[in-house]
Formats: sequence, structure tokens, C-alpha cells
Amino acid sequence: MLLKIISSLKLTVWLLVFSLVLVFFGTLDQVHFGIRATQQKYFESLIALWQYPLQWPLGESLHWLHFPIPGGYLIGPLLVVNLIAAHTTRFVFKWNKAGIFIIHLGLILLLLGQLSTQLLQEENYMWVEEGKSANYLESHHHDELVIKDVTDSKVDGIVSIPIDLIDKKPSSLQHPRLPFRVETRAFYPNAAIVEGSRLTETSPEMIFNRGLGFEKDFVVWDRPMTYMQDERNVTTAIVDLVGTDGSLGIWLVSNVFDETFPAQRFSYEDRDYEIVLRIKRTYLPYKIELIDFSHDRYMGTDIPKNFSSKVRIINSQATEDRQTLIYMNNPLRYKGRTFFQAAFDQQTEKSSMFQVVNNPGWLIPYISCGMIALGLIYQFGFRFIRSSRNKN
Amino acid sequence: MKKAITLSLILFAILYVGRSLVPPRYNPAIEVKQFAQLPILYKGRLKPMDTAARNALLIIHGKQTYKDKSGERISAIEWLMDLTMRSDVSDDYKVFYASHPDILGLFNIPHEKAADFKFNFSFNELLPHLEEIERQAKLANTEAQLRTPYERSILKLRQDLVLYQQLAYSLASPEYVSSLEEEYQVYLGLMSAGVRAFNQQQAGEDHNEEALNHFMSFAHRYQLLSETAAFSIIPPRIGSLESTSWQTAGQSLIETIMTGKIDEVVLAYASVIDAYRSENHGNFNAALTELNTFIEKRNNTGWNSFRFEYIFNYLSPFYLSLTIYVLVFIIVCLSWLVWPVTLGRAAYWLLILAFSVHTLGLIARIFIQGRPPVTNLYSSAVFVGWGAVLFSVFLERMYRNGMGSAVAALLGFCTLLIAHHLGGSGDTLEMMQAVLDSNFWLATHVVTVTLGYSATFLAGFLGLIYISRGFLTKSLDKSTAVAIYRMVYGTVCFALLFSFVGTVLGGIWADQSWGRFWGWDPKENGALLIVIWNALVIHAIWGKIVLERGLMILAVVGNIITSWSWFGTNMLGVGLHSYGFTDSAFFWLTLFWLSQFIFIAIGLLPHGYWRSRLEDSRQ
Repeated sequence: MLLKIISSLKLTVWLLVFSLVLVFFGTLDQVHFGIRATQQKYFESLIALWQYPLQWPLGESLHWLHFPIPGGYLIGPLLVVNLIAAHTTRFVFKWNKAGIFIIHLGLILLLLGQLSTQLLQEENYMWVEEGKSANYLESHHHDELVIKDVTDSKVDGIVSIPIDLIDKKPSSLQHPRLPFRVETRAFYPNAAIVEGSRLTETSPEMIFNRGLGFEKDFVVWDRPMTYMQDERNVTTAIVDLVGTDGSLGIWLVSNVFDETFPAQRFSYEDRDYEIVLRIKRTYLPYKIELIDFSHDRYMGTDIPKNFSSKVRIINSQATEDRQTLIYMNNPLRYKGRTFFQAAFDQQTEKSSMFQVVNNPGWLIPYISCGMIALGLIYQFGFRFIRSSRNKN
Repeated sequence: MKKAITLSLILFAILYVGRSLVPPRYNPAIEVKQFAQLPILYKGRLKPMDTAARNALLIIHGKQTYKDKSGERISAIEWLMDLTMRSDVSDDYKVFYASHPDILGLFNIPHEKAADFKFNFSFNELLPHLEEIERQAKLANTEAQLRTPYERSILKLRQDLVLYQQLAYSLASPEYVSSLEEEYQVYLGLMSAGVRAFNQQQAGEDHNEEALNHFMSFAHRYQLLSETAAFSIIPPRIGSLESTSWQTAGQSLIETIMTGKIDEVVLAYASVIDAYRSENHGNFNAALTELNTFIEKRNNTGWNSFRFEYIFNYLSPFYLSLTIYVLVFIIVCLSWLVWPVTLGRAAYWLLILAFSVHTLGLIARIFIQGRPPVTNLYSSAVFVGWGAVLFSVFLERMYRNGMGSAVAALLGFCTLLIAHHLGGSGDTLEMMQAVLDSNFWLATHVVTVTLGYSATFLAGFLGLIYISRGFLTKSLDKSTAVAIYRMVYGTVCFALLFSFVGTVLGGIWADQSWGRFWGWDPKENGALLIVIWNALVIHAIWGKIVLERGLMILAVVGNIITSWSWFGTNMLGVGLHSYGFTDSAFFWLTLFWLSQFIFIAIGLLPHGYWRSRLEDSRQ
């Protein structure tokens, strides 16, 4: 009985109806929450709770309205189970139905491939200036708290702490390689940092007493997180470093303090340290040098026609040193990572940004979609020829 | 007798097509046609003056012709000639449109008075309000989606005024002088003394102040000209027209300081303009011929694509086929009541005629642009219609019951009507953004996905005809109903094939360009919805969850889903595909969805309410 339900076409149709609903609402919500947040909420979850948007007509009075929608991680596996059950119980192999087998096999593979992509794919980016090289990637969304031992100028002893270890306050963290504890006094997923407005009465009290924030008289305002595609959250924290004899001081750290700001340094027990909250980096065992960036416009306009980067890959481990060209629709695939021409510095036109993707399962959709397409052509082509033969 | 009717109908349609081959009528005294074919570089594409004129008038005035006070029709090119060469005349043409009550209030014009002129204003009438328009435009919300209708109207008006000004500065300075040719000679005469004085002044030496001032006044005049001009008119001196260094009149005149010689094309334009201003028709035609020889000398491609585009413009093949599709639909509907064979055949051949014109238009566009057929929302509408008509012609050949012709005519008409309205925003042959600049993927992914739309709409419109015929008339008999069922089923299969393959090709393109096969972008999701929907319909048929009428209702739901994917997703303003949003589109889309829901409701009515007595034949 249960097997009959699991393998039934009725279940298939219902699952397809639910996937329509899921995809539809997963698209609508992107207007208010951006693609990334929506993707996590709808397609990478078991159940998503849709809420009537405030911005819609009568939003004020209908905003309480919620309803649950089965998420991608519920529908996907059920579809696979339904398919397998149907094939093991109901289907009898016939040559004129071979297409359906191939389609369904391809579909299972496609769903598994999407799962592997969602779990394993890493998307980062890399900025390189002309004539310079880079050996690390930066994350689109993640940050890290880094404490460097800079006593010896030749070797940096780097301790990287992922943000999710310090984003709850109060929290206290003892890293085995650090002689002091890191205590979070305040954490802002997104913030606005303003200079010297401590004078106004409404400003919140700032507790940091060392470093950039203290010297420049910064004030931090809490801001709602943004999910927009071209905006980044200003991740900010106020951390207290506590040694055996008490606090070393309280610092303000934020991912907007980039290289243009002075480094926040301090000494403890005869060693020099630097504390920085920065965009999460992934170091590569090779370097990418940008030799030349160029881009054309359509004549007489400012509309870009194409852009391309001539780069040099320098891999001292594999003693590799070669040039290649990266441009639209022509990425560089190297050591499991793919470098795509993504953007460039609009003002100088002298630095280039690559989207760097690491997806071990990147071939799966090619294979599975090829199978489905062939199956469809076989199945419908078969039917079409037969029905037109019947007509004649 | 019946044969005569068929023949005369077809003959009539052929004559109708032939009539539009005749070029439009202009002022016979001057060679407007020749002027219309002059090549210019505008918005990154080489095109004839005629195209720029039509697009500009369409943007500003909403039409491709202008009716002056005496009710006489002025063509776009004649309007542009007046604007670029005699703006004192064109400044009185009431081409601008503003009907928002708050804008009329701003101008202090009573509503009734504005309504007398259909809310059209001339440049001279707007002149006293220019500063206020500019100020109001600056106050408007910077975020486009949050603008009020008033803010949108005022920004549109400002945009139109800017375009109007740019056009006025495109051939020569609109500040009237008695003779442009003389002006340029004076400029040339002043040049050596002026440049010497300028260099001396820069070096801090004694210089001739008068010579310097006189010369600089010219230089400023041409600087303004080069900064304001909408398009470039001077072809590069050597090599083909394709090379990049086209210049505006102003740029060329400034460059004269280096070369010491005024470009012959600039001079030839000057005599054309002088003759036009003095209304000396003989001189105008002679000067235009001379200008043409200079330009042709610089074009060594040997082929005049500007003439071709000019003909394409006035022929307007899509509008032409649109009108024939209407005729076809009327004849098919008649054929279901009287003379089914005769009228059915006439409709079929007329459909072939309309389809041929449609196809020729499509090929001409591909040829002019050097791109696959679908490059923007406008061309997708043209192509969705084309694909749907192509599929229906096959259906009609297989079933010969008029359904194929009817649905083809209906879809051809609707999609070309949509295209017609989408075309109002300017040049439909615009340049592509860099991300989309790949003829291979445009030809594969975009074309297949669009054919998927075509097939899904085709199934949906067959459903619409089934429901309306069954509900409103007694003409839907059992065999026709079964035939329609088969047609819809077959079409849905093709829709699934095309939409799936198209979506996958899009995924591959995305993987090649951005490193991700699937990004849950609204347009991608929209395509996925169509794939899922078609898969759902097929499974519902196989599982006998729906029968004949149920399939028709599902097919109509397919219309809603496809239109959402086609237009709705663009309106969200999210993601990589969010191009071509139009405000009024939302209204029409909602209306379309409402109409589809009404059809679905009718489809769900019990049998007793239908005029055609159908029991579900597939039990």
C-alpha cells in the first residue's frame, strides 16, 4: 500500500506542483531578500516559511500571514525516491519506452549533482592589479578575525578565527597558539562607522580604548543586514584581548579597515601582534599575475563590448610558468579551480577581478542533461514519427 | 464561385503586401529619400538617418509620424530634417507629450486647454519651463522602482528634451547664421592668427587679444557642438565604414585646428544645410548628391546596407504580417460556420503569405544586426510568434481542421502586437551588453528557450480556442475535440523538449561565463517553471489524472506560467537577466492573467453549461 503511494504518478504530479510553488515563491522573495538568502531559505532547506511581504498591497495588515512551503531538500529526495520506486515496481522495460528510462536516470543524476554543488561548491574572487600578482582568494560573504605575530618581519605567524566563533556576545575564545583570550564585547553583522560624532548626545557609548577606533574617535551604528547582490555587509566587532594579568585593551575591528587604514598593532610579552578583521582569504599554492587588462567599447558609445585579462600563472612547486588569456565565456581552468573574468576597476581600468569557483561536480550537469535531452528526443521523436506514419 | 472567393481573397492580400513596397510620399521637390539613407553612427551602430529619425520621434512623440496644425502628416525623416537643419521651424511642432495633472499644474496650464492639443507641446511652449523641469527631475527619487507616476513623467519629459537638443546639435550648430559655408570659411581664415595668439598667451608672451577672442568664440561653439551631438556623421577618411573613428561635425571642426583643412563631408553637409534653410530645392538636391558621392568614396564595402535598412523601415514587415494574421483569424472563424473547405484553404494560404512576410522580416533583422534572431525583449516577441506559427503550420498540414491556422493567426497577431508596443522604447536593433555578446549562445540557448515559449503558448492557445468554441458555439464536435486533444498533447511534448534543452544550454552558458551551472536567478527559475509545468502536464496525462477538458485547462495555466517567465521575471529587477522593464507591461500582464483565469473558470463549468455537447470521449 505504502509502496503503491510512493511509486504512484499522483505523487509525481503533486511533487511537481510543490516544486512549482517552491520555485515561484523562491523567485518572488528575491526582490526583498536577494538571491543568496532566498536560495538558502527555499532551495537549501526542508521547509520554508513564506511571509506576506510588507511592500505588497495591504502589507501592513496581511504581514502576519505565513504559510509553509516544502523546501528543496524535501522535494528533491522525495522525487528521487518516487522515481526509483516507480521504476522498480511499475515499469516494464520496452524499447519504445527506453527514452523514459534514460530521462529519469539523467534526472536522478541531475538532482544529485545539484546537491553536490550546493554542498561542495566554493565561490570566491580575486583582484589583481596590472603588473602585480596575487596568491589568495577572497570570500564573497565570509570574514575572518586574524591575529598575526609580526615580531619576525620575515615570517608571519597567522591565527585565523572564523567569524561564527566570535559573533555571539559575550563569548570568550582561547586559541592554543595565542597567549591571550579573545572576548567579544559587541558584534555587528552590518554596521555604519562614523568619525568623531561622539559629541552628539544620541550616540551610543563606545567602549574600545586601543587602536584605530579609539584614536580616530569612531562611533559604530548597528545596521540591518543587506542581501543585495552588489552590497556587502560591514562586519564589525569590538573585541577585548585578555591576558593572564587582565585586559590588554579593547579594539574596534571591521572589514572596512582595508590596506588604506593603518595596521592595528600592539605588543604583549615581548612579541608584536597585529589584529585585523578582514574578508576571509584562501591561500593558493601558486600566483596569478595580471600582465594586461584590456576592454573594447562599441564605437561611439560607453557600452563595453568585451573585456579580457592576459595573466601569467606562476607555480613554483610544479615549476610552471605560462601565460594565458581570460575573457568572457573563456575561463581558465587550473588545479580544480576555474577563473572567470568578472569585473574590472571602472576608473583606472588597470585591475581585474576574477570569479574563482571550485566545484568538483561541475561535469555532472553536462552528463545528466545530455542524457535527458537524448531521452526526450528519442521518446518524442519516436512518438512523432509513429503518429505521422499513422496519419498517412 | 467558391474558388473565385479563395482566389480573390489571396489576390487581395498579395496586392495589400505589394502596396507597402511603395516608398512613403514626401515633399516631391526635394530628395528626402536620399537624405533618409545617409549613414550615421548612432548608439554604437551604423544606420541610415531614417532609423534614427523614426526611433527618436517614436520615443518623443510615441508615433513614427507627426500631424501638424493643418492636419498634414509629416514623416519622421522630414521632422528630423527640420530639427537638425531648421530648428526654428521644428521648435513649433507639438511633439512632446505630458498629460500628468501635476506637470500641467507645474506649467500652470488648465487641463481642458491641454486636452485640446491632446497634451502635446512644442519645444517653444516648454522653453519657459525648462529650468523648472530640470529642478523637478533632480528632486525625483534616485531609485527607479520607487518613483511615483509624476516623477516618472517628469523624468521622461526631461529625457525627451535632452534627446531633442542632442539631435538639434547633430549636423551643425542650431544657432542660426546666414550661411554655414561662409561661417566655416571665416573660421578657417581666423585659424592661423588665432592659434598663434593662443600659443603666445599660453607661453605668457604678448599676443593679439582680438584675434584670440574671435577664434576662441568659434572653438567654443564647435566644442559645444561636439559635446552635444547625438550621432556621428563624418565617416573615417580611409578604409571601410566599419573602422572606428567616426566623428561628429563638432569633433571634425575642432580637428581642423590640427589639419588646417575642413573635412569635405563637413563642407558638403554645410551646403546641404544652407540650401535647406534657404528653401532652394535645386541647390539642396545637387548638394545632397555631392555629399553622397563623398560618403560613398569612403565606403569600400560596395554594398549599401543603409538603403536596405531604409526599405526595411518603411516596409515594416512585422506590422504588415500582423494585419494579415487578423484577416486569417476572421476567415478561419467563418470557416467553422460556413464553407469549411473553401475558406479553410483560403485561410491556410493567407497564413503562409503572412508567415513568409514575418520570416523575411526576421531574416532582414538578422542580416542588419549580424546577430541571431533574439537579442532583446522586442525580438523575443517577434520570434515567439514566428516559432508558434511555424509549429501551427505543421499542425494544420497534419490535421486540416482550421485549428492550426486559427491558433497561428491568433498567436502571430498577439505576439506581434506585443512587439509593436515594446518597440516604442527606441532602437530595437540595439547593441548587446558584453555578457551577452556571444553569437553561439544567442543562437542556441536563446533560440531554443524561445521556441519552448512558442510551443507552450501554442498548447495554451489551442486550449483557449477549445474552451471558447465549446462554450460559445455548437461547432466543437467529438472528432474535432479529439484532434485538438492530440494536437495539445504533441505540442506539450515539444514544449518540454525545447524548454528543457534551452534551459540546459543556458546553464552551460552560465557555467562557461560565471562558473555556475545554476544560480536560482529569476529568469532561470522562470525557464525551470515552464519545464516543470510541461513535465507535470505529461505525467498528469499518463496517470489519467486529467482527461480531455482537464488537459485544455492545464494548457491554459501554461499560458500564465510562460507569460510570467517571459515578462514577469524581468519586472522583479533582480539578477542578471533583468533587462527591458516597462511600466505599462505590468498592467497588461495582470490583465492577461485575469483573462486566463476566466477561461479556466469556464473550462471548469459542468457540461450542461457548454453549448457544444461533449462527453469526455477518453474514459
